[in-house]
Amino acid sequence: MNNRIDVETAREVEEFLFDEAALLDDGHFDEWLALFAPDIRYFVPVRTTRSARERDKEFSGTAELAHFDDDYEGLKTRIRRLATGFAWAEDPPSRTRHFVSNIRLRALENDEFEVTSNTLVYRSRLERQVDMFSGKRVDRLRRSGGGGKFEIAARTVYLDHTLILTNSISIFF
Amino acid sequence: MPNPYSGGPDRSMIDLVGGDGGEINPAIYVDEDIYRRELEQVFGRSWLFLAHGSQIPETGDFVSTYMGEDPVLVVRQKDGSVVAFLNQCRHRGMRICRTDCGKARSFTCSYHGWAYDISGRLVHVPLEQEAYHGEIDKDAWGPVRVPRIASFRNLIFGCWDEAAPDLETYIGDAAWYMDVMFDRSGAGSELISGVHKWVIPCNWKLAAEQFASDMYHAPYSHLSAVLASLPDDASPADADWPQEGAQFRAPRFGHGTGFFASERGWEFNVNTMGRTIVDYLAGKYSDAAVQHLGELRGRQITGQHMTIFPNFSFLPGINALRVWHPRGPQEMEVWSMILVDSDAPDEVKAAYRDRITRMFGTSGIFEQDDGENWVEVQRVLRGHKTRQTSLNASMGKGHTEDRSEYPGIVSGMFSEEAARGFYQHWARMMAGQSWEELAQEPASACGKPDSGS
Ligand code: FES
Ligand SMILES: [Fe+2]
Repeated sequence: MNNRIDVETAREVEEFLFDEAALLDDGHFDEWLALFAPDIRYFVPVRTTRSARERDKEFSGTAELAHFDDDYEGLKTRIRRLATGFAWAEDPPSRTRHFVSNIRLRALENDEFEVTSNTLVYRSRLERQVDMFSGKRVDRLRRSGGGGKFEIAARTVYLDHTLILTNSISIFF
Repeated sequence: MPNPYSGGPDRSMIDLVGGDGGEINPAIYVDEDIYRRELEQVFGRSWLFLAHGSQIPETGDFVSTYMGEDPVLVVRQKDGSVVAFLNQCRHRGMRICRTDCGKARSFTCSYHGWAYDISGRLVHVPLEQEAYHGEIDKDAWGPVRVPRIASFRNLIFGCWDEAAPDLETYIGDAAWYMDVMFDRSGAGSELISGVHKWVIPCNWKLAAEQFASDMYHAPYSHLSAVLASLPDDASPADADWPQEGAQFRAPRFGHGTGFFASERGWEFNVNTMGRTIVDYLAGKYSDAAVQHLGELRGRQITGQHMTIFPNFSFLPGINALRVWHPRGPQEMEVWSMILVDSDAPDEVKAAYRDRITRMFGTSGIFEQDDGENWVEVQRVLRGHKTRQTSLNASMGKGHTEDRSEYPGIVSGMFSEEAARGFYQHWARMMAGQSWEELAQEPASACGKPDSGS
């Protein structure tokens, strides 16, 4: 399989990820959800402090505890919650800034791409709460329709934190 | 100036919770002196949850955890027993082990290389002849052992205090309620591998007390999660919180629980927990549990919240469990896990993992809103006036019920009876009461004022 990515595709992917980040930061969660494929697995494993010898066991596996392991319905439930008017942890909403960088692409079969990026999410909340989340994001993007459109078929976020230094992860990565 | 919070048995501690736990002085959530005393009198004397046996199945398996703020290593021994010792090297106090968990053959301190075996015996000192002239007594310089380790239903507890009652006595009547979760099938239980760990800037008691006693917050705090989980064709009445149930206050030692006990409880749970789990708890899979625990505990009790004093809480049925580790008066770490019956079908175990992760834990749609409340309660207490403003824990005082089907002191599901039990026991421990005194049921458990000691 030809693994080279042309410049145009790379630009389209980058633009897609930046637009996605803007939807989250601007609070357009329904539109954000629409970017995901119906068979999405949105997975954020738990990370554990391990010895160098056991480093391969740092991240929880798919049958172990995770920060998120949502299918489409799961994500939809979370987003419906935000619109109920009673979602206290996000009402007033967190103010987020999603930074996406170090994007790397690999072509897969069937017009899919594996896209690896670094993510840094800044959150400001209420008066003086500030949180930072840092991690590696691995997405599987799928061409959908024409004109540089994609859908996210899978997302795994490998956080750099073991102990999460905030009272809740009420935002998305 | 004399410190009002130190010294022997002390009336002022009892006064901080209004005598019977019904009126709370917020100093107990912010005061540094109270906090230091709490580490000594509460965490230094109570039975504390250390680990679930399934986390350390084989020889040398260990977890690092805390008893209060004291780091301890909990290690499975060759003979199957469990040993716990302070994670503090006796040479210059370095943390012996800096990882969360793993499998060890020995533990070697990274500072000067003292090495301990998995039972915490000091077995190797570098340059023992050349530098110590062979004169160091290695048997005397191992890390401090937790003197008392005991298990209940594969939950491993530790206690520093030789005078404390045994674990079974300490848990007492609460065991009957714990078994809804920990002895459902008789086949034992196991954790789904992994621990959620996060930090909430609030006092640990806000959380521990809530899980002991506070069904009252749930219909409002958690309304968004309930509404979001309703199917599209649901009617608004499907979000109505069940009203039938009960609350248990342990007659002694501060434990508490509350729950639904009705058909409505199950209907209510289907939307949030999913059909698979509800079938497991009340439907086609539940006959064995009914045989083992009886109809009430095997099928009817649901939506349960519970705390074993001081800081071990869980939600039977939902099967989330957690430790609220204190980190100063203004902060705690939550360590949260999910439990399943060992003999549950694979699809049920998977459903627990998927559904409960969405409801509870770092990103849980129920959990998030609890944290929001506690953080703001704590932040408000930065004030001068707010710290002097007493808080009301009087709900249901004097309204305990005679319900022969339940052990212990029982009241309605919406009550603060167990909260008062929690705070009153806390205050009596803080006042330095002996275990003989603590074992006496306080007069006010039934709504009468407490004489203190
Ligand atoms: S502090 Fe551990 S060997 Fe010196
Ligand atoms: Fe809650």
